[in-house]
Amino acid sequence: MTKDKYNRFLLLLGIGILVVFLVSVFIGRYPSPPGMLPGTLLKDRLAQQLVLNLRLPRLLVAFLLGMILSAAGSVLQMIFRNPLIEPGFLGVSQGAAFGAAVSILWLGNHPLVIELSATFFGLLALAASYYLSTRIRYGGWVLRLILSGVAVSALFSSGVGVLKYIADPLTELPEITFWLLGGLYSVTWRDLLFVLPFALVGIVVVYVMRWRVNLLSLNDDTAFSLGASLTRERLIILVTIVAAAAAITAISGVISWVGLIVPHISRRIFGASAEKSIPAAMLLGGGFTMIADDLARTLLAGEIPLGILTSAIGAGLFIYLMISMSFKVRRDA
Amino acid sequence: MHNILSLDGIHFSYSEEGPVVLADLSLNIPAGKVTAILGPNGTGKTTMLHIMLGLLKPFQGCVAVAGKPHKYYSKRELSQMIGLVPQFESIPFNFSVIEYVLLGRSPYLNPFQLPGELDLEITENALKEAGISHLAEKPVTEISGGERQLVHISRVLTQQTKILLLDEPTAHLDLENQNRILSLLKRMAAQGVTSVITTHDPNAAIFAADHFVLMNKGNIAAEGGVEDVITTENLSLIYRTPIRVEKTNGYTMVVMDKMEEYG
Repeated sequence: MTKDKYNRFLLLLGIGILVVFLVSVFIGRYPSPPGMLPGTLLKDRLAQQLVLNLRLPRLLVAFLLGMILSAAGSVLQMIFRNPLIEPGFLGVSQGAAFGAAVSILWLGNHPLVIELSATFFGLLALAASYYLSTRIRYGGWVLRLILSGVAVSALFSSGVGVLKYIADPLTELPEITFWLLGGLYSVTWRDLLFVLPFALVGIVVVYVMRWRVNLLSLNDDTAFSLGASLTRERLIILVTIVAAAAAITAISGVISWVGLIVPHISRRIFGASAEKSIPAAMLLGGGFTMIADDLARTLLAGEIPLGILTSAIGAGLFIYLMISMSFKVRRDA
Repeated sequence: MHNILSLDGIHFSYSEEGPVVLADLSLNIPAGKVTAILGPNGTGKTTMLHIMLGLLKPFQGCVAVAGKPHKYYSKRELSQMIGLVPQFESIPFNFSVIEYVLLGRSPYLNPFQLPGELDLEITENALKEAGISHLAEKPVTEISGGERQLVHISRVLTQQTKILLLDEPTAHLDLENQNRILSLLKRMAAQGVTSVITTHDPNAAIFAADHFVLMNKGNIAAEGGVEDVITTENLSLIYRTPIRVEKTNGYTMVVMDKMEEYG
């Protein structure tokens, strides 16, 4: 894709997202499904309060969530040279889930406490995966990190199982389960402020290093010969974007498939070079999550957990991509 | 003859308890020439290239580039001096040829920089030099093995280094592609670029190289011009198989004999 064509495409995508954003403001169950007319917003004070305090922060968090998960997925898939990796694979999702469950059980279920606990355990899982990978005595660094990520995920996942088992089935268990399914139903401006520093650092670092990600995806010897400081550069980019993913997961719960499928779609449309595919993946992911969240809050009378919708839509798209002829997963040249 | 790269007293093994891969190895690489490194499998050729590159650090000994030891160069400076085409280079994602070759400009960009017009121009020239301009927009996974090797070499040309290290650049290639690649290295040598290639094909080495190094068991068995190194005795002894070196019209050729006729 030429630069001009790419820029035009990206501009169109940006406009499309803006349209989705504006339309989403009016979508919801108030005053009656599927939403309100623009005129209502001018007259109705309750509608203004609702849009300002609930829908706007929720939409912005949905957009950030999609951006971060897609950016993290793109970066991880390229650096680990594996198209089947998603942002949660270094133990982050399961760590955050464990942190949320711990908080719901013992630290009180104040949203801020849950978020702090989920972020802390998400980052702890990331650190544990990394540390464990440095202690494994065989295999290349990709294999070591994947193995340790799988092991740490499994440990936290079994921890969540234990906590669910001992949780009060009437009060705590439903709360844990609902958190695990993922959703943005309780998002406020405060949540947005909580996640914003992590999100900005992660997104900016990935954006400015996007061309470098191509280099970091090459064989170690080639990347070294091209002047890359492999460990340092990979660590900077991984830690910043995975920390952002951990922080936003603390708000949204476990949202799967966005970080796996959006990078594929982006690479397919815009080509493999991360210079083009990463910014596009961020926009596509943001738009995708906003639309999924619109569906989550309007399809049924009650809210559908966002994680369920992204999994259903994501898996459907994935199956379509896998069986369509022009989709090529190539792991080795 | 001026040397651009020297190894002096190199000792190397992959771990402290592990077997010694290179033992007290010293070698000088002449500037602006093609040097061919020959030797059986597992004799340390690739390890030596990685030591020249700075990817592996020797336990003892010193590597000097243009008279200055490795440690006085930053990683980036070194990557502006020495380029590598490894033996196996997998490209995990479906970059277009030009996107991939453009990565050769990395040593001149900081981690936050994007390549500019000049980088693109240098990349296009490298593709032209390698004769693959027509492949620029093709995905790297949709070209032949020979074309892919030319793509790797274009990437290292884009790096504009004085020294090229190529690990078996002609393995698995047909004669036309071997000729294209080796002729390209000779043309680069005429422009002052030094190449170090490893190969299992003595005839390819004779075709391309000015300087020959025969390695055996982690050390240099013979070094010098074709007459000094490519001899029946040297090759038969090191490869432990019957090999004859013949001369026709002043051109040296290596011929393999059947095993049972040997000892």
